[in-house]
Formats: sequence, structure tokens, C-alpha cells
Amino acid sequence: MIVNNKDIFSLKPSEGLQQRLHIDFPLLLAFMAIFMISLTAIYSASNGSIDAVVNQGIKILISISAMAVIVQFSPLSYARAGPWLYFLCLVMLVLVLVIGETRNGATRWLNIGIISFQPSELMKIAMPLMIARYISRGALPPDVSSVALSITIVLIPSYLIMQEPDLGTSILIAFSGLVVIFLSGLKKRYLALAFTLFFAYLPFMWSSIHPFQKKRVLSFLNPESDPLGSGYHLIQSKIAIGSGGLFGKGWLNSTQGQLDFLPERTTDFIFAILAEEFGFLGVSLLIGIYLFIIGRGIMIAINAQDLFSRLLASSISLTFFVYVFVNIAMTTGLLPVVGVPLPLISSGGTSMVTIMIGLGMLMSVQTHRRLVEK
Amino acid sequence: MEFKSGAAQETEKTIFLSRIVFSVSTIALLVTLILLRLVQLQIYDSDKYKLRSMNNTIRTHSLPATRGLIYDRNNQVLAENQPVFQLEMIPEQIEDVEQTLNRLIDLEIIEARKLDRIKDNIRKNYQFKSIVLNNRLTERQMAVFANNRTGFKGVDIKARLSRHYPKKEIVAHALGYVGTISSMDYSVFDPSIYTGKEQIGKTSIERDYERLLHGKPGNEEVLVNVKGRVMESLGKKPFAPGSNLILTLDTKLQEIAYEAMKDKKGAVVGIDPSNGEILILVSTPSYDPNLLSRGMTALEYRTFETNEDKPLFNRAIAGQYPPGSVIKPMLGLAGLHLGFIDPTKYEPCDGAFLLPDYSRPFKDWRMHGPVNLKEAIQASCDVYFYKTAIKMGIDNMSDFLSKFNLGSPTEIDIGQEKVGIVPNPSWKKNNFKSKENQSWYKGETVITGIGQGYMLTTPLQLAFATSMIANKGKSYKPHLVKGITDSGLNKTEYIEPVMVNYLDDIDLNHWEIIHMGMKAVINQKGGTAYGMFDNNYPLAGKTGSSQIYSTEKTKGDNVPEEFQDHGLFIGFAPPDNPKIALAIIVENGISGRTAAAPVAKKILDVFLEE
Repeated sequence: MIVNNKDIFSLKPSEGLQQRLHIDFPLLLAFMAIFMISLTAIYSASNGSIDAVVNQGIKILISISAMAVIVQFSPLSYARAGPWLYFLCLVMLVLVLVIGETRNGATRWLNIGIISFQPSELMKIAMPLMIARYISRGALPPDVSSVALSITIVLIPSYLIMQEPDLGTSILIAFSGLVVIFLSGLKKRYLALAFTLFFAYLPFMWSSIHPFQKKRVLSFLNPESDPLGSGYHLIQSKIAIGSGGLFGKGWLNSTQGQLDFLPERTTDFIFAILAEEFGFLGVSLLIGIYLFIIGRGIMIAINAQDLFSRLLASSISLTFFVYVFVNIAMTTGLLPVVGVPLPLISSGGTSMVTIMIGLGMLMSVQTHRRLVEK
Repeated sequence: MEFKSGAAQETEKTIFLSRIVFSVSTIALLVTLILLRLVQLQIYDSDKYKLRSMNNTIRTHSLPATRGLIYDRNNQVLAENQPVFQLEMIPEQIEDVEQTLNRLIDLEIIEARKLDRIKDNIRKNYQFKSIVLNNRLTERQMAVFANNRTGFKGVDIKARLSRHYPKKEIVAHALGYVGTISSMDYSVFDPSIYTGKEQIGKTSIERDYERLLHGKPGNEEVLVNVKGRVMESLGKKPFAPGSNLILTLDTKLQEIAYEAMKDKKGAVVGIDPSNGEILILVSTPSYDPNLLSRGMTALEYRTFETNEDKPLFNRAIAGQYPPGSVIKPMLGLAGLHLGFIDPTKYEPCDGAFLLPDYSRPFKDWRMHGPVNLKEAIQASCDVYFYKTAIKMGIDNMSDFLSKFNLGSPTEIDIGQEKVGIVPNPSWKKNNFKSKENQSWYKGETVITGIGQGYMLTTPLQLAFATSMIANKGKSYKPHLVKGITDSGLNKTEYIEPVMVNYLDDIDLNHWEIIHMGMKAVINQKGGTAYGMFDNNYPLAGKTGSSQIYSTEKTKGDNVPEEFQDHGLFIGFAPPDNPKIALAIIVENGISGRTAAAPVAKKILDVFLEE
């Protein structure tokens, strides 16, 4: 089925509740399942604190509301807003480095009177929009100059965020942009070149990253070398996951979590609590739900009716996967501790809202499709 | 929005799809990686991590067992466990630690000089752990604290058990004392049955029956959080209390003996000849075992150790003294049995005995005139026994004395007893270095005849030998523990007397002659203890005095105390049906008659009344 872009506007929206509400029910169901898991895990990880659960519940409601609003807009309007949002974020990222708030040695927050927030979170949305918008304008595969410009668009905010410093977010944002360039059909030799450049850059990155980041990488390579220091998180996390076994210790029976051995267990290490309490089977189910969301996103991308929507939907889906992968790989010791939350489950409001906005845009791609009249 | 041709869109979609296929493959690869990792952690290595998780969170708290009690033969408590009250504080429950400590100092509940150490403890420990402020509160301090309790939230009185000896100095050497466990103790006792918190026996009964008294510690498994705070108890295995001991000692007699001896140096041992039970075991000067058990400062302990009178030394089993004249009944019996003595024959005594080749005579303590064996014992005639010794020869003497267990351990159930010396030529050969000192001289045989020279005995050995005389050869191993009560089963197992020696080849008439002589010591005119007891006192005995240096200088009136003769007394009562055999030694007491016999009288006056 080939549809001219021109024709789209003459098509009628498909009927049905999902289309009218612009909500994709299978995705919504998966989100609900994930949120139930989140509340269950937060209750246990916070040693049975109702406050923590209510707090998380409020954040979930805000996130769902944000998604519900976002899905009402068509992908076309995102495409239009993309560049504006991107440049706004860029300005704010510069402002962060100049007048930003510093917490725990990292300057990531911008105080705009009423609230303070992280512009880098907003960039997570702006980046795929901007790149998808830019690439989809030209013919595919993109030529050298537009690839070069695309890469520049990706690297500027990534660099700024790395200066905050926030290595994890920086890499994830870069990924969400680069994945669009990759999907647009970048020639294989460019890809090879990019890889070569990346590995050539690694030693420079090593010398420029902060000492605490170096320590994390080193302790990842050999956590037992400093069991009470930088390797502590990882060791305790592995003990939690491993001691869960096949079936887990049961809800609220996580000794590693209940007895405070595992740090940051409501945020970055919440996966370890789930693994300890619900075992291999439990986390396999969770991974299954995540894969359903990602699979559904890729389906949406494939079925999307224009290039922008396709690129946007696939970028969001693949970035979502990377979030999930990086967090689980980090808690199981496959990757260094980079401080990435488990999407939709870890407590922490901003990241949940931005992820749900992203997933809302994904849903919008599906629910704003127009059917060709027979 | 730019518009693209259908062909362009088709190309775009083909490229896109090929990239999606690549991406999905990558996702599949990475998910497989994660699942494999989870299989490794949660299934393959799960047991390892379960163990580490448990080690993280489960702590075992040991519960020390309560130590067994010690009773005397009449169920009077000699060693018990008393609660000691200590003041503890949990820093995290206190608003102003500094102020709280200062107020406790003002109330004289804690000592100002200990303030720095307490503060140091608070700094070094977790804030939820209890800190000891005063490990032994006096009653006054407890009352003062109780009155001010409302002002001290987070400060509390806690009880622990500590050994207490109600009879203090009186039974000290028999019981011994307890103390904190040292690494030396762990080389003797199995460390796994100690928690480290309890006291361990250091000497005598407390040491030698440690395995029974100690019991088995229990434990409690608790769940702790990352800081070690106890969250809940997972299970308790109660401790098994130690066994109680019933001793053979008679506290009443022990008290009288101690009372009679407390200003003297020496020892009293009393044995029931019919079963070997030790009724009295006193060594003076004594010490208060409570002081040692509660822990002394190094200085306090040093004053004990360097005290010239050696209060910690158990003279009753480890003090070795020349027996002096108390050996005479045994040597008399030897002479009778071996046929060297005719009991009816009188031997002259002019106050000295001359040996050919010896220029100096062997003196008697006085001139006795002619005496037979009975009178020689009664009046303690030295010349009679000098002559007997020469007739028998040293080997006969030492062989016969060995039958009374002299020179050998009695194998009493406590402490490190000494064995004394029964000298003879072969002993001398083995124990002297230079050749000229190794040969035995006749003069040495002579003085062995009155229990002087090289001969050494312990008070316990003398009491044991006396019990053999009393029983006409039959004897039982001396022991202090009569029964053991298992606290769990509440059943008492009594210790059977062990017969160790029976001189049944000795003519009963010979025993009778010796008994007559010993009865005469007490009850007949000319007896060395005559007049010290009531008329017709039911006692057979023998006095003795043993010289420390056999030089002329120590004779006379102005001899320094430490060179004066030891006074000795042995005896058994009643003579026809002996219930007690006694040995008493008073160091530097000058004579057995004046120093030791009165001690025997005080004890027997009470004993015979019962």
C-alpha cells in the first residue's frame, strides 16, 4: 500500500474507540501492568512506606495524563514543534552550565522560579523529534553533508549534558538521535567510520570524564577489589538478584532490600529487589512486558504512514529498549553503574513523565493513522 | 511537509525495514544476553548468593550458660551466681549525651575519671548499641538512680550474673575462683563451648570441674540490618546450665578450722577415714575469691602475688614440710612389722644418741629414761627412734613409708598437689649433682627416724596417712566432690569411694600398739599433748615439730619467727570407730603441742558433739 503524502489529508480517520480517544489499548494495558509492578516494588523497597507508594501513584497519574494529552496531537504537529523544542532545550542546556543549580556535585537543574527541572530530560523528547524531522525532509539514504549535520545536531546537546556531568543521559540522548540516522539508511561504510571514530575517541573520553565516573567503570571491571567502596552497589545487587533464585523469596521478603544492604533500591537498583522477591520467573515476566511494548512500538513504526512517523516511532521504541537494557545490564553487572533508572518502575518523577510523553508520541503515530478508502 | 514520489517512498521503506530487521536482531541478542546473565545469577550461582545473603543478614548471638552451683555436704551454698547490676546507655535514645553523663557524675553514679573512656566507647560504637557506664552499681547508686530515673531516658540498669562466694576466705583454697577467659584457658578448654562472656574456673574445684560446672551455651539467631541492628529473632536454642556440685566439705568444721588458723600460716586437712571424703581443707593465710572473680586491677593482683605470706598458695595440698615426730607412729609400726622392735623391751634414753665415727651426738629434745615403743610414741622419744632407724636401715624405712603413700600423689581431685620426698640412697643418687653429695650417710638414716632431714610431706599426705593408721591399713582416695547434680535431669550422681590401699598383712596387734601410743599422747601423763584436751578425750594423736634449719643457731629463745620450728599435729577420733583423721601444720608455730593441738581441739570439740 503506497500512499502519497498528499492523500493522507483526504483520508478519514479510522473509526473505533481507540482511534477516537487516540489511545492504543494494547500499549495502555502493558503500561498499567508495568505501573502495578512499580507500585508493588516501591512498597517493598521503601520498607512498606505507604507515603512512597502514594507519591509514586501521583507521579504515575501525572505521567498518564501527560501521555493522554500528548496523544491528542498528530505526529505532524510534533514534526513542526521539533526544531523549536530542540533549540529551546539547547539554550536551556547552555543556561544550566552558566546559572544551573548544583546538587551532589552535578549541575543539572535549571530554576525557573516556580520549579526547577532538568533540561536534559526535555532533550530526551526533543532529540528524536529534531533528527527525525531533519532526516525525513531529504531523500534516503541521506548524503554525507546531511549526515554530518545530523551528527552535529546530536553531538552538541550530548556534549553539553556530559559537561553537567551526566554521562548516562548524555549517551542515551546521543543514542536516540544516532539511531534515527542509522535507521534512515546510513551507508555501511559511514557506519564503519563512525565506529572507528567512536573507539578512537574512547581514550580521550576516559581522560575527560570525572574521577567518580572512572571509579564506577573500574569497579565494574572488578567489583570485589573494593567491596565496601565503589564495588559495594554491584556486589549487593548481585547478591540480591542471585539469592532470589528461580522463584524468588516472595513479596516483602527481600532481605537485601528490607535490611538496607542494597542502596538506591527504589531508584536505580529496583530491578534487584524485584529479582530477589520474584525470582527469575518474575523478572522474565517483566522483561516480557517490556519486550511487548518495544515490539508493539516497532510494529507501529513499520505500519507508520510517513517517514517522520516511522523514524520517530522506531527511535522511541529502540531508545526505550536501551533504557531497559542499560538498567538491567547495570544491576546484573554486565555494564558499569551509570545511574539510569528502570523505565516506568523506578521512583523519580521527571524521567517517568518524559518516557510517557515519548510513548505517548509513539501511540499518536498509531492512533492518528488514516485509512485509505476503498 | 515535502512530498516524495511513490518510488522514493518505496526505497525509503525498504531501507528502513532492513535496518529494523538489524535492530530487532540486536535486541534479540541483547535480551538473550540478559536472560543468560539472569540464569547464571539466579539459577546457576543462586546457592552461592543465597549464602552470601544469609551471611549478610543473620547473626548468631550466643547465650552463656549459667554456671553450676557448689554446695557443701549439708547443702550449704559455697559458690553461687549473683546478679550484678550495671548501668547501660543507648546513645541514640538520648538527646544530650554530654549533659546526661555530667548529671550521672554529679549523682556519683559514674566516676568522673572514667568519662573519657565512656565517651570514646560512644564514639566507636553504633548509636543503637548499649554502652556500659558502670559495671557494678552499689546499692546506694541503684537507689539514687531509681529516684532520678525519669530524667534519664535511654539509660537503664541491666543485670548479669557473676560468681559469688558467700564464705569468702574460709573455703577459698578448696573452691578456687573464676575469672575472665584468657587465651591460655582456650588452650586447655574447647573454645567452641564458650561465648567469651562467661567466667572460667581458674583454680581448684572451679578449674578441675570446669567442664561440669560450665554447662553448654545456647544461641539466638537474629536478623540484622546493614548496620547490625537487630530487627527480629529467628529462633533460640536455650543454654544448658552447668551441673551443680556437692562437696564433701563440712562448712561448720571448715569455719572453725579457719577461725583457729586465720592469724597463723599453715594448713588443716580433715578426712573421713571410712570413705576418703575431705571434711576440712584450710590453708592460711587465705584470700577473698570474690575479689579475684570480679576482676582486680593489675596492681591489686600484684600485691596478692608479691605478698610474702603467699595467700594464693594452697599449703594444704602443695605445701611440703618435714613431718618431724608425727612420722614416729608409722616408723614404729614398720619396726614392729619387720621384727626390729620388741614392744615390751625398754630402751634407755639419756637425751642423746651417739653414732660411731660421728663426733657430735644426735640430741633428743629431753631425757626420757627407759621407754618402750608405746611410751616412745607417747613422750615422743627421739633416741628410741634413732636406734630403731639404725636397726632397720634406710631402705626398710623408705619402703614402709611409701606404703602410706608418702612420696606419691594422693590423686585428690583438685589442683596441683605436691608429692613430698621419702629419701633413700637411690633417691639421693638421682637428685644430687656432685659425687660426694650422692652417697648416703648413716647420720641421715638417724634423722630420718624422727622425720627430719630430706623428708617432706604435704598436709594432705599426712591426713591421708593418718586415715590409714586410723583404719588399720584400709584407705580410700581423698576427694572433695561427693555428688554431681545434672541441672537438666535434676538427678544427683554420687561418687563411690575408691579404695586405694590395704595393708592387710600387718598384725592387728601391731596396729593396736600404735593406737595405744597415740591415745596416750593425748590422755596419759607424759603424753606430749596431755593436758591440752579434756580428760579421756576420744582422740589418738601425735605431735611433732619440724626444724627448718638444723643449725645450733635456731635453738634457744631468741630465734626470728621465720626460723622457728613448724608445729604439727596428726590424730584421729574417736579412736575405736574413727570418723575423722586430721593433719594440722602451723608454720613457725614452735611446737605441735602448743600451736597445732589446740586447733585440733577446737575442731574436735564440735565434731565429736555431733
